[in-house]
Amino acid sequence: MTPYRFDIRIRHNRRTLVEIEAFHLPKGKVTFLLGESGIGKSLSAKALFGLLETEEFDARIDGQPYADHRRSPLAERFLREGFFVFQEPSTHLNPLMRLEDQISEGSLAGAPARAAILAQLWQESRPGEIQSLLEVYPKANRPSGGEKQRILCAMAFLKMELAARHGAADPLFVFDEPTGNLDNRYRDIVLEEILRHFRQFRPTVLLITHDYSMISWVTRQHGDILESINFTELSLEEGRGKLREFQPRTYLGWLSSRQPVRSGREAPEGHATILRVESGISVYGRTLGFSRTPGGEGCPLALRRSSMAYLKAPSGTGKTTIVKIMMGLVRGRNLRMQLGSGILSEATPRRLWQERIWGKRMTMVFQHADEALNLRSRVREVFEGLPLPESRTAEAIGAELLQFFGGSIPRGFLDQEVGTLSGGQKQRLNLLRSLLLDADVLILDEPLNGLDFTSMQRVLELLERKVKEGRALLLISHNEEIFDALVAPENIYYLSASFPE
Amino acid sequence: MNARRSPSGRWLANEEYRWALLWLGGLALLWIWNTLYLNPPALAQLEQAFVNTLIGAAAVVVMTLLLGWSVGTGLYFLESRGRRMVSLGLTFALNLLRSVPQMVGILAGYIILTILIQREVLQSPALQVLWMAFTVTAFTFLELADVIRERIDFYRRSDFFDAMLCCGIRESRIVNIEILWKNSVAHVLQKLIAVFGMAIFLQCSIDFIISVGLSREVSLSNFPVTLGGLLATLDSKQDILAISTFFTNPAYLLRLATTHLQGISVAFAIVFTLLCVYKVSNGIVRRYRL
Repeated sequence: MTPYRFDIRIRHNRRTLVEIEAFHLPKGKVTFLLGESGIGKSLSAKALFGLLETEEFDARIDGQPYADHRRSPLAERFLREGFFVFQEPSTHLNPLMRLEDQISEGSLAGAPARAAILAQLWQESRPGEIQSLLEVYPKANRPSGGEKQRILCAMAFLKMELAARHGAADPLFVFDEPTGNLDNRYRDIVLEEILRHFRQFRPTVLLITHDYSMISWVTRQHGDILESINFTELSLEEGRGKLREFQPRTYLGWLSSRQPVRSGREAPEGHATILRVESGISVYGRTLGFSRTPGGEGCPLALRRSSMAYLKAPSGTGKTTIVKIMMGLVRGRNLRMQLGSGILSEATPRRLWQERIWGKRMTMVFQHADEALNLRSRVREVFEGLPLPESRTAEAIGAELLQFFGGSIPRGFLDQEVGTLSGGQKQRLNLLRSLLLDADVLILDEPLNGLDFTSMQRVLELLERKVKEGRALLLISHNEEIFDALVAPENIYYLSASFPE
Repeated sequence: MNARRSPSGRWLANEEYRWALLWLGGLALLWIWNTLYLNPPALAQLEQAFVNTLIGAAAVVVMTLLLGWSVGTGLYFLESRGRRMVSLGLTFALNLLRSVPQMVGILAGYIILTILIQREVLQSPALQVLWMAFTVTAFTFLELADVIRERIDFYRRSDFFDAMLCCGIRESRIVNIEILWKNSVAHVLQKLIAVFGMAIFLQCSIDFIISVGLSREVSLSNFPVTLGGLLATLDSKQDILAISTFFTNPAYLLRLATTHLQGISVAFAIVFTLLCVYKVSNGIVRRYRL
């Protein structure tokens, strides 16, 4: 079958947001569209599907005005027969309708197997939990992000069931980061459902993600239909989007060659512990503790110099909260923490954190670069005001930046507003701002968020370098596959939450 | 769809620029008209009043910026450094000031000004204008201080603030440069423009009230002339009253525009300026979605 092929150009306020020549989508196959965030993957998919606001964007598909594409039989068919799972599920759900009504509304009315699909996506739910969830009018915090995402996926699967039953002619199903709010277990369930439905009637599926570990899961679980699965990577070259086939073996080969990061000069256990945090910290009505195995006996979290530790837990346990407590940003009761020879607790005055710890002994990279950076700053200003050693001159920072961006900084990049950068570029700046510091302890919350494969490799190389320089790194990440390979088993910790009776 | 426009067209597409230009154009036309038809002493008085009013309002804006910024950030730092009692005391004093009606407060400032003039402490007209501006500022700066606190509190709850703290960036830099300078200039500018309009309105109202004799304690005889003061003079009042003749006798319009210019010009300058300031401020609100 001839693949769909489009030339896409989208502009907003005289600025080109997306320009892709030959965006191709093989019919009757699953395409995993990989690449760093913020370079136009979602916008392109929305444009193809006929979902762009003509008032807001100046778009052209194949050189024609966007309004013509929206009126075309193809876009009308996409809308009628297919489904689009949005990256931010809140935007898709109507706050004035119960979820139950929304999943059986319009073209989803009469869809079969609703209960079975919901049960599949809510495995291990308590009796009545699904029904009580369906009674909810969606609000900001209820259902949770992960539940909203699963509801949207359920709607897509219902539409797939209907399309299979009616023999729809090559419908398009788009899943835009469908597992972004899910932990690995539910991520696997959603992927399994997508591919199970695909096997039924072979529709065209576009799955947008920057989670490269999906490659190994798909290869492992659905190796028999690999000829029907495409991995494509979108990258920016001189401001234009380029689509390239991404060979699974590139990632798999790289992953299998990873070894746990060791500096080769670790001191014996207990001798070079730079940070030690006791279990039993209470916050927001729960008590958080560390263990060496899932659900195992409590133990302190100990970080040694020249080491990389990995903190794991299911979504919503409080990983980000615990590291914010460790950074003195959130007050948790019973905090007992030793940093070098100093003791820190919830009573430690903020002034001490400010004067002696933040940026000097400890630093943290926040998970969402969009929220952690000042979007109104220029790139060069991101590094202003940091307590950097004198050796880090503006030239030295420029050199680091160049190296970190693969020697390919576009002209005028340093004077560009952070808000105009792609998600991956923002994430690299977010990381670099903390990695330039001389802090003993670096806490990294989802450091690989929004990065493409090349950037991910560069970030990991830099992290390895920091370990070899004697720093202690604590990582939180849903990229378990990657960090399980990089972190020595003795440095993996599990976080658990217990609730008072 | 975005239509292609020339740079000047794009500039004028912004409501605030369009109204600022209209304001300048309207005042220029008024001035040209007055140079043709208004007698020179009255014109000189009108020009002086306009300049004094503008300088006064501009001084209010500058003082509001300095005082509002200092108080807004000062309160935040007092709280963040644990000086709760000092912060509470200052908040209480500011709320006390907030509870005083603006007109009453400014009138009290004018009484002090009268005393200072009578005792020959404050003789320079420039200093008198500055004192008047300071009096108005005392009752407007809290509006800016509130905006500044709101902006700091908004970002204080975000990762943006904590992420910078964790990198060792000084809190004063985060507040003053990263939050207020880089992210709140439009909010501050919009508030200052509103304060500019408010200063003109308050100054004109108070000067008018005083000069028509509602207050026995203060007299405008020794104060610098302003638009409000000029509007209250007998000549201006007769000019304004002449407008009513036009409603019964439309042929009077030409005479109105050539022989009753002082009062009408003052009234026009005040109302037109306030309208334009309001529109400029609204334009900024819409453009930056404040």
